Amino acid sequence: MHYDLSDPRHYTTFEDIQGLVVASAQAALGIHLLRAAGLVTGGTAGTALILSYAFDWNFSAVFFLMNIPFFAFAWMARGPVFCGKSLATVAFVSLMAEALKPLVQIGQIHPGAAAALFGISAGVGLLGLFRHSGSLGGVSIVALILQDRFGFKAGWTQLLHDLALFAVALFLLPADRVFWSLSGAVILNAVIAFNHRRDWYVVT
Amino acid sequence: MTDPSHHSAFEDAQGLFFGTLMCALGLQFLTHAGFITGQTAGMALVISYATGWDFGPVFFAVNLPFYWLGLRRIGLTFTVKSLISVTLLSAMAALMPRWIAFETLNPLLAGVLFGFITGSGLLAIFRHGGSLGGIGIVALMVQDRTGFRAGWLQMGFDAVLFTLALIWIPLDRVLWSLPGVVILNFVLAVNHRRDRYIAT
Repeated sequence: MHYDLSDPRHYTTFEDIQGLVVASAQAALGIHLLRAAGLVTGGTAGTALILSYAFDWNFSAVFFLMNIPFFAFAWMARGPVFCGKSLATVAFVSLMAEALKPLVQIGQIHPGAAAALFGISAGVGLLGLFRHSGSLGGVSIVALILQDRFGFKAGWTQLLHDLALFAVALFLLPADRVFWSLSGAVILNAVIAFNHRRDWYVVT
Repeated sequence: MTDPSHHSAFEDAQGLFFGTLMCALGLQFLTHAGFITGQTAGMALVISYATGWDFGPVFFAVNLPFYWLGLRRIGLTFTVKSLISVTLLSAMAALMPRWIAFETLNPLLAGVLFGFITGSGLLAIFRHGGSLGGIGIVALMVQDRTGFRAGWLQMGFDAVLFTLALIWIPLDRVLWSLPGVVILNFVLAVNHRRDRYIAT
């Protein structure tokens, strides 16, 4: 290949940093759009959103604090680098989601648009995080550990968590918001399911 | 899992659809703030601000001459995918203001979010063998033939466009448009790598 390209098989530190920054900003924007329409999603971010709606707490603070125990699991499961990247990503998403509140105020948003735009923005963000070996911490790490240690499929753990989360959401939110929330979660997971391919994107 | 070396038609369709939706969302930040960008999209924005015409149809129209170039120099598949991408973006950009409206939008953040979101959207479109037409076709052709990075060539075109834009658009808005263009092209320059994203 060309002389100015870095090693095709491995990211440089700089490439990892730009990937994690861009991806975290996309994830934060996705959450910001979701919040503007009063929707929720799956995973730890979804639990943090529900808690922030129910008790009027600050999403970013709840999201960051909730993730702290998971960083210890992240270290155990995948080592210090993964733990460090996850910590940096969760911190940046929390800060960015808070910064967006005054800087990008959404006047009106159709809940279907919020779901779709959240799905692609956070979905592509998570794709970027995975490709640069980061994560948004939380439930997915526990799910990975359970699969490694006990053979219980990571997908089932996440599904059980999200089912419980949406059951709670049904009590807290109007039915149409729960429907749009589900649509957003489906789009997000479709983006990841179709595009997270180690055999397409070969760099680590 | 499908064949790892080639995208299936469905995989390309979802890639182009998600990619153009990302681009349309990014453009919404830009047009709300009254900023411009580079390439044919920027040309269409300048025309749209100067005449009051809608961006969608103008963007579709300015790209028409480039399909002939794409067809002659690159091939039918690329040209059809570019036509689909441009058409989708024209339609989505027209619909986007009905879906989302901003009350306040910080100018720096408008540029940053545009650069990140539209940059990633373009990356997806390129990786699935499409483009947003125009200068992208010329730039991709040059990268594939000479190795000169598409990001740098687009930056040269953008410099000329921004200078001409000053005739119709106030200086401060042209200057505030710069962070977005730099960030968008940065995202492409660092991340568009045929040697890493190997599926075609």
